[in-house]
Amino acid sequence: MTRSQYSRLRKIRYVNPRLQGGAALLFAFLIAAGGTAFGALAGRALRQTLLSAAVRGHYPMRSAFEIVREPLAGYLAALFAGTFLPAAVLLLVLAFAARSGINRVVQALRASADRDLSTPARVRGSAAIPRLGELVDGARAETLASLRSIRSEAEDLAGGGVPAEEFRLRWDALKQRIRGIAP
Amino acid sequence: MSGTSGKTDSGRPIGRRYILGILMRLLVNFAVGVGALYAILFFVLSKPLAGEYAAVYHQLRGLATYMRPVVTVSVLAYALLASLSTAALCVYIFHRVAGPLYRMEQVLEEFRSGAATRPVSFRHGDQAGPLAEAFNAWVGVLRQDRGRLLARMEEAERLCLLDEATCRAEMGKALRQVADDLAAYR
Repeated sequence: MTRSQYSRLRKIRYVNPRLQGGAALLFAFLIAAGGTAFGALAGRALRQTLLSAAVRGHYPMRSAFEIVREPLAGYLAALFAGTFLPAAVLLLVLAFAARSGINRVVQALRASADRDLSTPARVRGSAAIPRLGELVDGARAETLASLRSIRSEAEDLAGGGVPAEEFRLRWDALKQRIRGIAP
Repeated sequence: MSGTSGKTDSGRPIGRRYILGILMRLLVNFAVGVGALYAILFFVLSKPLAGEYAAVYHQLRGLATYMRPVVTVSVLAYALLASLSTAALCVYIFHRVAGPLYRMEQVLEEFRSGAATRPVSFRHGDQAGPLAEAFNAWVGVLRQDRGRLLARMEEAERLCLLDEATCRAEMGKALRQVADDLAAYR
């Protein structure tokens, strides 16, 4: 990707539906679940509060809101805690899963820099990171196959018994293949 | 290693400060949502209770009857508002992780296709900086090895100016060194 292509990417915020959309859906589910619980519990409790206030007949309050303010505040606090805390836990789980997946890919790339191209990254989980792990493993495996093939050709040529003309042709072809490593 | 502006705090792929930032934004987002729900219910229920006992009794009974639909509609408004703002937050914040992953996928596909690979760099503030560093380091090692192998072969070619026997012997030696160097890869 060229720099100009990448600068175009800067303006694109929605780049990975599985990661960004998946997280948005999980949080929306939490909000919906919290809202449903609040609607069921608070709706019934506030109704009961208003009915008992009507029956009691003492109205020191100027509005219905003053009658339900205290239980409502309690339910709203519970709604806030009941949605924010699971959302925070979910966020931490997602972040640590992503961090762990990226760490595995980084370790695989660092091992590659130490010439270990065969130990797989073993990235588990969802969203984009396992796919990245597969791409990294694929690139490493292809590089290793190419290097092994170059090595085998070098050993074959070094072994002797190849006529001079053919040797020269294969020598040049081998150089060309070496030039193709990480172009 | 140059070109990785996406370094995170303490060298982690996803920094603590970034996670704390999201947590704070989520906290504000959820607080605003609950605040909006409170405001809606306040608006609906704050109508003054006017009249004598009978009138107030009927007003409260009426309100009690409509309490469930009122709460349901308020909760729907809250859920819509909170979900949309959280979705926007997810898109806005997680692109700092999703962007670099997408970029790495592109770079790896280019690398596998045999196209020329440039050093990877992320945007300022992007997460997953160590990914770019590790990839650039790997490609750097491959290029270093490639340069060394080619230098050995070219050195052998230079000795071909002497005579055919020396030339072939030097080429054979170079090829064995190439094979030995490549044996380090596993």
